[in-house]
Amino acid sequence: MTDLPIVGFVGLSAALLAVGLFGILTRRNFILLLIAIEIAMNAAILNFVYFAAYAGGTPGLTGQSIAVVLVGFGATEVAVGLAIVLALNRLKGTINVARATELKL
Amino acid sequence: MDLTSFAGPFLPEIVLLAGVLLVYLLDVLKLRSNELVGSIAVAATGFALLFVVADLGFTPFALLRTLPASSVDPTFSGGYPLYAFTSLGLVFQAIFLLATCLVSLASLSRPREERGAPIFYGLLLLATLGMLLVAVAADLIFLLLAIEVTSLATYLLVGYTRRDSRSLEAAMKMYIIGALSTTLSFFGASLLYGAYGTTNLYAIRAIGILNTGAGAGSYPVLVLLGYGFLIVGLAFKATLVPFHAWAVDVYDGAPTDVTAFLAGGSKKMGLFAFFLVLLAPILFVRTVASGSPFTTTQVALGPVLQITLAVLAVLTMTVGNVLALLQKEMKRMLAYSSISQAGYMLIGITVGTAPALAGATLQIFAHVFMKGGAFLLVAGVSAWGIGPLIDDWKGLGTRRPLAGVAFALMLLSMAGVPLTVGFVSKFVLFSAAVQAQGYFVWLAIAGLLNSALSVFYYARVLRVMFFEQAAPNPLPAGTVVGGSEPPILPAGGFGYGRAAAIGLVVIVIVAVGVYPQMVLGAVQSAAQHFVNFGA
Repeated sequence: MTDLPIVGFVGLSAALLAVGLFGILTRRNFILLLIAIEIAMNAAILNFVYFAAYAGGTPGLTGQSIAVVLVGFGATEVAVGLAIVLALNRLKGTINVARATELKL
Repeated sequence: MDLTSFAGPFLPEIVLLAGVLLVYLLDVLKLRSNELVGSIAVAATGFALLFVVADLGFTPFALLRTLPASSVDPTFSGGYPLYAFTSLGLVFQAIFLLATCLVSLASLSRPREERGAPIFYGLLLLATLGMLLVAVAADLIFLLLAIEVTSLATYLLVGYTRRDSRSLEAAMKMYIIGALSTTLSFFGASLLYGAYGTTNLYAIRAIGILNTGAGAGSYPVLVLLGYGFLIVGLAFKATLVPFHAWAVDVYDGAPTDVTAFLAGGSKKMGLFAFFLVLLAPILFVRTVASGSPFTTTQVALGPVLQITLAVLAVLTMTVGNVLALLQKEMKRMLAYSSISQAGYMLIGITVGTAPALAGATLQIFAHVFMKGGAFLLVAGVSAWGIGPLIDDWKGLGTRRPLAGVAFALMLLSMAGVPLTVGFVSKFVLFSAAVQAQGYFVWLAIAGLLNSALSVFYYARVLRVMFFEQAAPNPLPAGTVVGGSEPPILPAGGFGYGRAAAIGLVVIVIVAVGVYPQMVLGAVQSAAQHFVNFGA
């Protein structure tokens, strides 16, 4: 499988990462932030799958199993984020990140 | 592999996990008193600490060894494992456990009516479990997932009160930045996997040194980008400038005992992750420098990383110190000073020799006590009605001599005054940087100048505490102490748990400062093993 175009695939995941990072930096709604974080995370997962196919054989298996683990990890991370957003919404009645200004930067 | 041979080496982790389960079981059974749950946490970390110290080869505890001496610092023959017990890893496990033990000991004195004790101690133990796993990681993915075990627990720990909007806001900020840094780290790891075909740190080190890797030579850009993303991701965890802005807000907003854990514990985990991840490329350079047939591209990576790290270290020290000078609030001042200390620790990793690593490890050890202790003390005095501003501490040294002297000792140790542990660690670290020659000498000079700069804001606190008169009635009515001239409460007014923790901190600061051989030898030999390990 070594004839895969490495630049194209890494470019694709880099673009995904860029979309995610842009979302993290610009979104003010916590739920949309979580979605942006997930998009960026998927860029890394896609990379693992792609490089697994590129390497093939036993090193390839490593990459595929890492990808599965990371999908599970992403769900855990979002669960914690949702717990925080729930508590925040209950206390302040908003999930807008820009409203959180009690601690000065 | 039978159960005992598997459970043996991981006994400290299993003890912690058992502690977590027990705490949550008691929570379900409605046994939620702070003293009960807290003593379980203290006991679990204490036992785990005993096992780890025994594994380090400390003879009086030889009976408690959980892994044979032969499996510490092993040589790899045939395949690289997911985890490996290095003696430096064990030293760090001990440091992490000490931090948690201090925090849970001090938290025994938290107000009795406060709710959520099981959540607090359970998450504290879970976060420590992740840190212990970081210390034995040998695989990049294992390392990053272990970091996440700690991170997820600390996000919740920061916001565990749920009623306090400041700490919830801190939890939210920490979550967003933490998730961002995690993503960047995993992206970097995926690029390294693409370049090397493996995620094992020691395999990567061997590939770099022996140059047998398939992809490494053909795509140097992947390696460079991979390490770049990893450095940025980990720099967030280790609060290096310019990735530090979140830390001050979080340290300020979190419950102060949690802040002590963040500054003394989980941040050190980020720094140890730096040790593991970056020593492969930097050691690679040192091996190559002694004359071997590598191409320029293969060698170029190490110096690039070293210069990047050197710049980060100087930036972190300077920006942290300058901003600390400008702070009016105690917690924020300590937070910025904690950031600048991370810069000193980074010097050790940048230089990458065994003495420098030993210096950085000592600095981290010292910082657990100085900064962790300082935050625990700040949490204690806030119960006396002393406000968040530095000026609120006026006259504390004369009204509360015990607390004042303890805090003064911690500050002097942070500033690096002789006969304290902070002096020993800085001395070892800076002299190692000078020995390494080259531009590392300038790193040592930058460190010394920064230490001098930091004396200004520590001295300001000392002046406020000892030489300025308190406002006429500093304590609002209804606080624990009454009257215009408050009497000294039992155990220094902190409650026994917190007083014991702070007493321990003071003893270590002075004892190790006066007699550094106690820990110096163990740390130095551990660092030497780590540098030679698997190479």
